[in-house]
Amino acid sequence: MISFEYFALLLISLILYWLIPKQFIRNILLIISSLFFIYLLDKWSVVVVLSLTVFSYLFGNLIYRYPKKSWIHFLGVCGVLLVLIIFKYLGFLTGIYNSLAEFVAFLPKFEIRKLLLPLGISYIVFKHISYLTDIKWGLVNPGRFIDFLLYSSLFTIFVAGPIERFERFKPQVEINKIPFNWKNIDYGFTRIVFGLFKKLVLADWIGYFINPVWEKPFLYSPWIGLLALIGYAFQIYFDFAGYSDIAIGASHLFGFKIMENFNKPYLATNISQFWRRWHISLSDWIRDYLFFPLSQISSKKFWQIFCVPVIAMALCGLWHGPAWHFVFWGVWHGVGLCIYQLWNEKKRNNKNLNKATKTPWFKYSSILTNFSFVTIGWMWFIK
Amino acid sequence: MQEKLIEFIRDEFLADPDTEINENTKLISTGLIDSFSLVSLQKFIEKEFGKKIPAPRITAESFDTIKQMIDIINQF
Repeated sequence: MISFEYFALLLISLILYWLIPKQFIRNILLIISSLFFIYLLDKWSVVVVLSLTVFSYLFGNLIYRYPKKSWIHFLGVCGVLLVLIIFKYLGFLTGIYNSLAEFVAFLPKFEIRKLLLPLGISYIVFKHISYLTDIKWGLVNPGRFIDFLLYSSLFTIFVAGPIERFERFKPQVEINKIPFNWKNIDYGFTRIVFGLFKKLVLADWIGYFINPVWEKPFLYSPWIGLLALIGYAFQIYFDFAGYSDIAIGASHLFGFKIMENFNKPYLATNISQFWRRWHISLSDWIRDYLFFPLSQISSKKFWQIFCVPVIAMALCGLWHGPAWHFVFWGVWHGVGLCIYQLWNEKKRNNKNLNKATKTPWFKYSSILTNFSFVTIGWMWFIK
Repeated sequence: MQEKLIEFIRDEFLADPDTEINENTKLISTGLIDSFSLVSLQKFIEKEFGKKIPAPRITAESFDTIKQMIDIINQF
């Protein structure tokens, strides 16, 4: 994302965009720029993005026309997920299958040639699932194809999100003309500069100090290891928040308001609050399209308190990459959410405990405890 | 509808059942209701009023007060 191509395309598109009087033509210009950017990343990604967009748009229209036929939505979501499975998880799933086949003599083993993972595929798939589901829920209509194609491909948010919703994006591109405003340009460039500072100065410098510890951990004392882990917590935050700032700022230059992705996550007092502040667009997605639907399956307490958070967060972990250590990271957070729910229940039934949690010292120690929990969880991420 | 919602929220979610809540009390953004309880609230609304509110509408921005809840319920 931080490349000469990205910023050159951003500046050229920006100048041409504001010279064009009609919003519809501006949107077409942005689609051409975006597809060209995706082509520069990987030519096959353009084919994947275009095919997926046509597929989802057709299914979106079918769902809109036949809202009572749930199987159309199911089929559409499965089709979109299939793309993610083929490109991202086929090797991982084949590995699991082959491990099981070791124990069963008659099962054949498979070798899968690793497919090149198109950049941004995880983001586009989640955007399309929310598009199809929001149409089913009656929150949005399918819109014009051009608007949906722009939503799918917009290069400012293509590689690293945020996972914007079509419901929020559609009204912004449908209006006749976004008025030019110097404030938007000023705000956009300021956010980009902040983003570059977070990524290139803070995250990369922290990385410069702590990377040797991960390369040869046996050379360092446990205390240095602990400091490096805390450093990693900040490195990953500045890295990702930096990318989000650049994406939000770049979109702002074109007059688009994209949702925020971070809100001082390490100041959260509990793990539930942390997930409302960290990678907000992803955690909102997980909440809306996984957590709530999973909760509908059963009313049993064990399912609600334990299974739902663990399954949802394990899948959230798997979304980050096709490897077990990401799944374990997700499970770690899922277990954290279970413990938090049990704690809340205890608090509700104990007036004295409830009173004690309202004191300032409790708040600060909660921030520290939560930060420690999240930081320990990053160990799974580093692997 | 308002009384039923207040009664359910007070009985099921509030740590202190004596907490005074009215139609404009901020419930989610102030932490009076945690995000896990929203699933139960969604189920209660479906059972009691026959309206299934989609998850993207049940947020601190759009579903924070009893008044906002009633507005959203009436939309579906």
